[in-house]
Amino acid sequence: MSTWNYVVTAHKPTSVSHSCVGNFTGPHQLNLIVAKCTRIEIHLLTPQGLQPMLDVPIYGRIATIELFRPHNEAQDFLFIATERYKFCVLQWDAEKSELLTRSMGDVSDRIGRPTDNGQIGIIDPDCRLIGLHLYDGLFKVIPFDNKGQLKEAFNIRLEELQVLDIKFLYGCLRPTIVVLYQDNKDARHVKTYEVALKEKDFVEGPWSQNNLDNGAGLLIPVPAPLGGVIIIGEETIVYCNANSTFRAIPIKQSITRAYGRVDPDGSRYLLGDNSGILHLLVLTQERERVTGLKIEHLGETSVASSISYLDNGVVYVGSRFGDSQLVKLNLQPDATGSFVEILERYVNLGPIVDFCVVDLDRQGQGQVVTCSGAFKDGSIRVVRNGIGINEQASVELQGIKGLWSLKSSFSDLYDMYLVVSFISETRFLAMNMEDELEEIEIEGFDAQIQTLFCQNAINDLLIQVTANSVRLVSCTSRELVDQWNAPEGFSVNVASANASQVLLATGGGHLVYLEIRDAKLVEVKHAQLEHEISCVDLNPVGENPQYSSLAAIGMWTDISVSIFSLPDLELIRKENLGGEIVPRSVLMCTLEGISYLLCALGDGHLFSFLLNASTGELTDRKKVSLGTQPISLRTFSSKGTTHVFASSDRPTVIYSSNKKLLYSNVNLKEVNHMCPFNTAAFPDSLAIAKEGELSIGTIDDIQKLHIRTIPLNEQARRICHQEQSRTLAFCSFKYTQNSMEESEAHFIRLMDHQTFEFLSTHPLDQYECGCSMISCSFSDDNNFYYCVGTAYVLPEENEPTKGRILVFAVEDGRLQLIVEKETKGAVYSLNAFNGKLLAAINQKIQLYKWMTREDGSHELQSECGHHGHILALYTQTRGDFIVVGDLMKSISLLVYKHEESAIEELARDYNANWMTAVEMIDDDIYVGAENSYNLFTVRKNSDAATDEERGRLEVVGEYHLGEFVNRFRHGSLVMRLPDSEMGQIPTVIFGTINGVIGIIASLPHDHYVFLEKLQATLVKFIKGVGSLSHEQWRSFHNDKKTSEARNFLDGDLIESFLDLNRSKMEEVAKAMAVPVEELSKRVEELTRLH
Amino acid sequence: MAAEGSSGGGRKTTLPHNPRERGAAKFLTGLPSRGNFSSSSLSSNLGGLRVYVCEHDTNPPEGQVIETDTTNILIRHLQLKKKESEAKDAGSRTQGESGKAKRCAARSLGVQKSSKKPKLGSSSGLPSSEEAISGFSQHTLQSFTVERLRALLRQRGLTTKGKKDELITRLREAQS
Repeated sequence: MSTWNYVVTAHKPTSVSHSCVGNFTGPHQLNLIVAKCTRIEIHLLTPQGLQPMLDVPIYGRIATIELFRPHNEAQDFLFIATERYKFCVLQWDAEKSELLTRSMGDVSDRIGRPTDNGQIGIIDPDCRLIGLHLYDGLFKVIPFDNKGQLKEAFNIRLEELQVLDIKFLYGCLRPTIVVLYQDNKDARHVKTYEVALKEKDFVEGPWSQNNLDNGAGLLIPVPAPLGGVIIIGEETIVYCNANSTFRAIPIKQSITRAYGRVDPDGSRYLLGDNSGILHLLVLTQERERVTGLKIEHLGETSVASSISYLDNGVVYVGSRFGDSQLVKLNLQPDATGSFVEILERYVNLGPIVDFCVVDLDRQGQGQVVTCSGAFKDGSIRVVRNGIGINEQASVELQGIKGLWSLKSSFSDLYDMYLVVSFISETRFLAMNMEDELEEIEIEGFDAQIQTLFCQNAINDLLIQVTANSVRLVSCTSRELVDQWNAPEGFSVNVASANASQVLLATGGGHLVYLEIRDAKLVEVKHAQLEHEISCVDLNPVGENPQYSSLAAIGMWTDISVSIFSLPDLELIRKENLGGEIVPRSVLMCTLEGISYLLCALGDGHLFSFLLNASTGELTDRKKVSLGTQPISLRTFSSKGTTHVFASSDRPTVIYSSNKKLLYSNVNLKEVNHMCPFNTAAFPDSLAIAKEGELSIGTIDDIQKLHIRTIPLNEQARRICHQEQSRTLAFCSFKYTQNSMEESEAHFIRLMDHQTFEFLSTHPLDQYECGCSMISCSFSDDNNFYYCVGTAYVLPEENEPTKGRILVFAVEDGRLQLIVEKETKGAVYSLNAFNGKLLAAINQKIQLYKWMTREDGSHELQSECGHHGHILALYTQTRGDFIVVGDLMKSISLLVYKHEESAIEELARDYNANWMTAVEMIDDDIYVGAENSYNLFTVRKNSDAATDEERGRLEVVGEYHLGEFVNRFRHGSLVMRLPDSEMGQIPTVIFGTINGVIGIIASLPHDHYVFLEKLQATLVKFIKGVGSLSHEQWRSFHNDKKTSEARNFLDGDLIESFLDLNRSKMEEVAKAMAVPVEELSKRVEELTRLH
Repeated sequence: MAAEGSSGGGRKTTLPHNPRERGAAKFLTGLPSRGNFSSSSLSSNLGGLRVYVCEHDTNPPEGQVIETDTTNILIRHLQLKKKESEAKDAGSRTQGESGKAKRCAARSLGVQKSSKKPKLGSSSGLPSSEEAISGFSQHTLQSFTVERLRALLRQRGLTTKGKKDELITRLREAQS
């Protein structure tokens, strides 16, 4: 039973709805603020580029954001209105780096019809009032007093019911709005009103303009002294103002989605249309009067939802349908005639229309393959948890025991040599002039023995540590300079060194400390410990990068790790690790300015401690499991940041983000040794020793989720994976616009699941579009088929009355149509069901048998069906049970009766929810998403006493997700380690319109109760930005009802516990009456669900 | 802009092809710059985005939790009207005869605004400001109800009979 669910975001929303530029974080700092559905991002503009600052979660779906400057203020304030009628005004406190709430409020009305064309929130340029258009026929005004404080809001009746846009005009004595509206004959007009604040009413404005372009949809107010407004239509652009100046130009037919003002005086604007074309609109002027309009084609970007001119010709293009971009406007066109140069792309998964979970690397870890983007920006995205290594070169080499890279001189930037150690020899490789690796000799090194450690040292020396000696070799002459020999009868077991120090452990617990002084090895100290030493480390974490005052030592027998001071080898701190597994690798490192001691055990566990670099104190002990085999730790750097690589059977990169240690697995199966190999030809590369192979590879950006994009230039709608044929198939459509007509062409396409190469395409008929797709096999037939459900969408029909089920086999990498079956409606959903095919066709559920004819061909034969839905859009099956998500009748449960060969309804949820996705969490609990952005779970009441109760699906959980879910799938983005508690928790992945990938995890009851308490405690400590309430935000809310969230937990809030500072964490732990270590451990375990 | 335009014109002679592209180049000169993105090698990796965790109290200062005036729009309108007329009554009691003029001024609150239109429009060349205060434009009169027109006529002691158009003409004549 799993009524208790935990919802957490694995991939944050990435679709950009709004952006604005202003001095938010300081009077002299220019910021770009981007709204991504439930988050805002604050960036700083710098001479070097766009510097990310802050990612702020908002307890609401952002309807509008706007920057404004009240009188007597040095910096801008941020106004945010949410779709659930809350608003707040935020101010940045630079001293404390905090967002202060200047004011907030609820602007909902008890009656009123929400606007069809979206909420409008605008601020008077002279800061006299905020205007909101939230309900048809009402304009809400929040006036400012003369100190810049907000006063009580009031409504004004707006006669225009179908409002398309409202803007404030510049340079008006009284605040004046211009309203673009459509009348009941579908003609469009603009009208102006002055807002009389004292009378709380509109006064007829100075001008109006009737009978505009039928596609007029966007108003651009022009700043003073020009004043007036630009009206953007589909075929014309018009400028008009109060002096009855009227200028118009025709444009090529397009729908303008976004605009951005270039010049502060409003003489140039950037316009982005629905096909991603960027235009420049110029107002030519003479003596502060507009004399004409000009429009110029600049180039192509993603389909823009917001355009913000930043500075120096650089523009931010926010997109809902594709990647957001940073583009530069060049003075001269490039070869293709485009003035737009794309500087950077910000990955956007939205809208995720469909996705599937596959295990392409066969690592036991799911990857999500999404249908992302829309129109020309459509793509397939492969989302994987972990970091990818892209192999550049590899050679076969058996039995590698160690790997080190060396520079040709101490001050060199790049590595030159690669030292590869084997059981009885050491080989040296170097980059030659052709950037190839070739074997060389370093005369001073001993090549006839296994190397234990290698390092560049001061004075242009190289250090080699072997079992019987330490050698110092000159970088220039490559000859031996000095040598230290192990005492008779002892051999060096483990060693570590840095630029000026060497630490050796010989048998019997002897520890020898050497220093390099004047190109000589000097034995400074010798100590004997009570146990054998298993690993040592000397990596400097203090201020001096060439000298460490601490040494970390792991020991056998008592299974401990100790910190010793250098040079006197005094024990500072000893930490017993417990258990029976020996520490195999220790490492001191500094990540994001914080020093850590990492200690890896022989069984794949890793301890991490905070290390005080000056005193050697160890705090904040944590244990995680990375694999099952011994781990060896090594630091490396990528893009100037240091990270740690843990080589083992499940190689992991340890990195720091937000001053927290994060563990990301790598797409390699087993790594024995790794060393950074940063050469001029392959910068930031890693040398990796695997079983029988040495390879050089580069590493992806260090981030938790790795996303690979396969651009399609058309929109994919359904995707499906077939393990047996090693392919992915998807339905897509291409939208083409000729000069005269628009047309859509739909396809079924096949591609390789590893290389993502297109293999085959099956075009669909005219007006036919793909609605559903599965891969399945049938009873008495071992082959796997792709089944595709389609609909003929005829322009004159409201609801499709004809469709097809197409069954394809993959033969030699091509789609072969095996069977086709006509249906009496759109095939909205297909499911494999007891060796048969279950289809949802308009209002009916239909079961088809797979029949083999005498000649060996196949056909689909209708077996039975079930009526009683408005539109059965989503079906899921489990055993004999079928769950149906209806267009507007919530979830119902059907059962297939074998004996009678019939489908019957067992139970239904009697609420009127408009469904967007359903999934069965287990036999009894089903989760649904509806179109007011809520999640809910229902339970089958099979044990109830009465028929009436059994016939009802009981709603057991409700939650406001704030995201429109398009698909649920069972699966997990992370590798499940069998020994961790979290490994047993079933999870469902969901994908949303804004590009969110989230996880619903079904928790055991005791776990849930604990976390529920934690959530309740955290709400008291972590406040909603802008004083927005968490409880209200997560309450189930649709047109009909609002009720408190239940049986769902907000994982995003719970996991932000780890972002708290230590003292707050302790306060939370105290309030929970749980030790802070245990609490962090439990929350950290949760973060490993995604 | 003018200087830039001429430089674009200069280019015209050297680049006779692709008139459209040349045009855009002309308009792309002099893009505003405040010193950002000026480095020759723009970096795409200027650090990560820190997730904001709000640990401080976010309640707004006192009196800044904004609510909507719940009075019905109609009732608010009536109340305002009532207040207005009360103020007028009080005025008329103290000032006697001049009350009439005051009422006229008070009524014509909307008039003051609408009078701006001819001023701004400037094309119609309508009456001086003095007349505008007591006079209505043709357009404004058209928007008035017959009842209101009759009231205006009554104020001026004119007959209130006839169709709307006639009433308007009569008023206009009285004004001019």
